[in-house]
Amino acid sequence: MFHTLLQVNPIEGFFFGSGKSMVVGGVAVIIIVGLGLWMWRMEKRIQRLDETATRQTNSSNESAEA
Amino acid sequence: MSALSNIRFLLQHAIRVELRNRHGIAGLLVFAVAAVYTCYQATGTHAEQESWNALAWVVLLFAGFNAVSKPWADDDEGVRAFLIHAVQPQHWLIARTLYYMVLLGTVSTVTFAAFLLFLGMDHLSGWTAGHYYAGVMLTSTALASLLAMIQALASRAGGGFSLIAVLGLPLIIPVILVSTRYGSDLMRGIAFGDTAHHLLFLATLSAGFFALGYILFPYLWRD
Amino acid sequence: MIQRSWKIGGIALLAYVFWTTFTVPLGPGLLEFRDRNEAASTDGITKRIETYELIGLGTHWTVQPEELRLFIRKGDQITPLPVIDVIDDTHAHAALLLPDTLPSKAWDVLINHPIDGTLFLQNGLFVEGFVVDESAQLPRPQFEERSADLPHHFPFQPRIFETIRNLMLHVPMWFTMFLLMGIAFVASIRQLSQSAGGSSLFDLRAEASVQVGMVFGVLGLLTGSLWARYTWGAWWVDDPQLNGALVTVLVYAGYLILRGSVEDERLKARLAAVYNLFAFVILTILLMVLPRFTESLHPGKGGNPGFNSYDLDSSLRAVFYPAVLGWMLLGTWMYRIRLQATRLNQKLHRLNDE
Repeated sequence: MFHTLLQVNPIEGFFFGSGKSMVVGGVAVIIIVGLGLWMWRMEKRIQRLDETATRQTNSSNESAEA
Repeated sequence: MSALSNIRFLLQHAIRVELRNRHGIAGLLVFAVAAVYTCYQATGTHAEQESWNALAWVVLLFAGFNAVSKPWADDDEGVRAFLIHAVQPQHWLIARTLYYMVLLGTVSTVTFAAFLLFLGMDHLSGWTAGHYYAGVMLTSTALASLLAMIQALASRAGGGFSLIAVLGLPLIIPVILVSTRYGSDLMRGIAFGDTAHHLLFLATLSAGFFALGYILFPYLWRD
Repeated sequence: MIQRSWKIGGIALLAYVFWTTFTVPLGPGLLEFRDRNEAASTDGITKRIETYELIGLGTHWTVQPEELRLFIRKGDQITPLPVIDVIDDTHAHAALLLPDTLPSKAWDVLINHPIDGTLFLQNGLFVEGFVVDESAQLPRPQFEERSADLPHHFPFQPRIFETIRNLMLHVPMWFTMFLLMGIAFVASIRQLSQSAGGSSLFDLRAEASVQVGMVFGVLGLLTGSLWARYTWGAWWVDDPQLNGALVTVLVYAGYLILRGSVEDERLKARLAAVYNLFAFVILTILLMVLPRFTESLHPGKGGNPGFNSYDLDSSLRAVFYPAVLGWMLLGTWMYRIRLQATRLNQKLHRLNDE
């Protein structure tokens, strides 16, 4: 005998009873850590490009002055 | 010249320019009446309370936006460059807000009258219609004080009607929420005293829009 | 070093938040207290003794079933009902053994159990066929609230159930968005207050933070909508809090469109700053002032008593505060990367032009 709500939303009770919450939690953690690593790499690449661009700007300025 | 006479001069000038070009305001009124007549065609004289209210505010809102979207002589870069030296930006903003109040007030009054004429007064009788009209007037005041600023911003940005709508509509949503609720309260027979706080909200919002515009407008105007 | 640690800290906090959000179980609660023999009670004979069924969610009544105590309460009146039979962990039968004269028809249902603690079902019982006399006094039993003897769990809220986890995903989105829009607000003020002919550095800041803030705003709308579908039964309802959220997102979309429609860099910086100040002040009024005068269904506002214990519950706080901090750190980091990318883009354009 199930409460009507449980019939409408079978996820209640099932979600935790079957241990699927661990899988969901694990996937979420992997996604957020992956996002962090991706952002980290992105930041490094932007910084490297920025340094290159600054060097080029300076050199083009020098050549213009020369 | 004092501030007051400055403002009066700018306002008179705006109205004179508007009246010189008669088909401008006639176009607005035709637009409004045609919109009302379209609603009448769709619903007949016996629109339900809720639809009556919804249609009234939608027509009023779009008639208002239509009224301010007209290009304006002062928006021309050359005229603005001259006005910057001639008048204080705040005076200009006050004059324009007042002008919009007059313009939107006229358009709203005509629209509302046409609405009562075509769609019937089944839901509004006697004093209630007057209270509803007060809400309409305060809403057009709020529209005027917001749109005076937004219109100037949009014309500086070089965008047309679509930019006014994009910038103005989200900000006007709260006003429309308050006015629609006020209107439906009146129609459901709630006593004026119990729903009059909505009018206070509208006045507060108008004052807020105007105060912000007053502070920020000089930054917008200068080069 | 500090540069590195706050970013790693933010990600670590969010990893902790996600893990606990999805793995901490929901505490026990009462779902329903209902008449078992509805057909029998309508035969015209008013029965004073009726059996009722008590239904819980995640409760442990088969452990020490003799210790399950049932009470009904109205105001300061409280009276016990005998538990006849415990069927399983979540179902029990009770008898409606009451005097003929009662002070009220609507009652809250409470249970005490050594493991589940005191559970509460507001207006869970509505009795008929009794004489109602507000001055009637019922015998007062010994009743004291017990706390649950369970490992770490989230509190049970009626109608909210498992979706209480959304607190960790939905609310911090708006906090983060407000932080980012605040950064944009300050940047816009500084953009306007510098002397004419100044750089557009602050304008770039405002743009980057609004862009990232919009991401959080849209995520906030999505998580909220999903939750509303489940709890309120509709993807969108007419509610001041929701209207405010929608207006916020639309206004900042307008800001980004305004930026797109101006060519001249200096004019764009000024106009965008003016609109941003306008938008932020109006939004603060709308989100902070107007909702206080209107009723809202939204959790945390009036009209939703189920959430009054929100701020008090330590199990939620232990995840909610780290969630807010973690999302804010992530948002700030995203903003900084976005800003660096925009500035790099500008620099490259300038190089190309030369």
